[in-house]
Amino acid sequence: MLESVSWVEKNFNEAPDAIFIFRDDQLLVSNYAARTLQADYALSTAYITKLMNSVVQQQSSRTDDCFNCAALDQAKPAIPFTLPVKDGHPLSFFLVYSELDAAKKVYSLTLKSNDLLQRVDQLAQQRKLVQYVNRAHEEERKRLSQDLHDSIAQGVYSSIMGVRHLESTMAQADPTAFAHQTKLIESQLYATLQEIKGMALDIRPSVLDSFGLPAALKALAKRLEENTGIEIIVVAHDIAELKLSEDVQTVLYRIAQEAMTNAIKHAEANEINLILVAHEHEISLEIIDDGTGFNVKEHVSFNGHSLGLLNMNERVKSLHGTFQIKSEKGSGTTVTASFPIA
Amino acid sequence: MGDKKLAADLAYQELVRTIYQQEDFDFVGIALQDTTSWRKIHWRYAAGNTSQRFRKIILRSGIGIAGLVIRTGEPFLENDLAHHQYAGYMSQPITLIEQLTSAVAVPIFDQDHLVSGVLLAGYRQQQRVTAHSGHVLQEYLQPFQ
Repeated sequence: MLESVSWVEKNFNEAPDAIFIFRDDQLLVSNYAARTLQADYALSTAYITKLMNSVVQQQSSRTDDCFNCAALDQAKPAIPFTLPVKDGHPLSFFLVYSELDAAKKVYSLTLKSNDLLQRVDQLAQQRKLVQYVNRAHEEERKRLSQDLHDSIAQGVYSSIMGVRHLESTMAQADPTAFAHQTKLIESQLYATLQEIKGMALDIRPSVLDSFGLPAALKALAKRLEENTGIEIIVVAHDIAELKLSEDVQTVLYRIAQEAMTNAIKHAEANEINLILVAHEHEISLEIIDDGTGFNVKEHVSFNGHSLGLLNMNERVKSLHGTFQIKSEKGSGTTVTASFPIA
Repeated sequence: MGDKKLAADLAYQELVRTIYQQEDFDFVGIALQDTTSWRKIHWRYAAGNTSQRFRKIILRSGIGIAGLVIRTGEPFLENDLAHHQYAGYMSQPITLIEQLTSAVAVPIFDQDHLVSGVLLAGYRQQQRVTAHSGHVLQEYLQPFQ
């Protein structure tokens, strides 16, 4: 029994949240975190007592706007609370108040650091995002390696076999067979060449570097149209004079790619509209599809599929842009990204 | 030359229609490879199609069912297209656009015994294709080779 009391005490002392226990207006016990907080910010016990007291009174006076409120009675009050600190940033907390002994007026106050909670959330989110990006990298490598092995190596190999066969037709001195064989090898090499070009385009569109974003978007749309049979309409004005940074152009291109891929893969779209417009001090890209749509709220949180969207959002934010997805079941999806321009 | 091409055109169109009428396939189509240097593959003739979207598809050798058959010269047979190794909108647009669940495809050879195209037939309602379905298609192609 004694031992377990010491454990409880140890736990209390080492808790990351600052915990104070009061009777009436007197501070009875506080844990290590609470004492450090007091010491770090030179807060006198009397000051804290006063502050807490007023907060508690604010909470217990039910006269403000809610009478006989069942929800308020049941909820353990967790009050967002900012501790004003002299010569420094105010500290944001969540203040949890619980009555330990109503008769003796003993109550405890726990200060949960708001920053800490948010930080934990952010960290978890970041970790998932890093995981997702890594996995996407790995997937891409896998696909490239497969493509190299399956199509290009295969094409070169069959050309080699063709040349060998050519030698034997030479030996037989058969001109028709020879002509036929050269034609065959030529067609194989052409096909391989096309595949190499296609792969290069998939990895990084050289059009983007040499002819700019509108041309790259048109080329991307044409390629997707050819691969899927879905109609893609591109409206892209000439934006050469805006001198967009390479980063912004790349992000806009990738967003167009991701949004269109999503529309084709998941939304069964029949038609996609892609609009790139420059306004005064802003450039915006809209991708509108007529597919099945989805409930955006359900997909904003982590569920494995929406990380692509989240990743797009992060990329846009890092360049000071805004990113928005509007969608409803049965009425298509609109993805919008815009960036401020000088 | 033009007449010859027109005649081939009509013959292929007639062929897909005949197969569609005589067999129980939900979709029958023919893709041909261009003889120009780009060697692109288009779906040219179809029967039982749900839209004209198939005409927009342009494939390269090795991509898509038609590209695969043209590359290998071997028949293609799949009863679970949704979970096929190369499943996906990029690799099998025709099955996606025509909502096929199973398909069989055989190569079309030209006079030089080079693969010049693909004859494909498929189902939308989970009916199965077999090696026999491939033979049936090849029978229909006999007069063209």
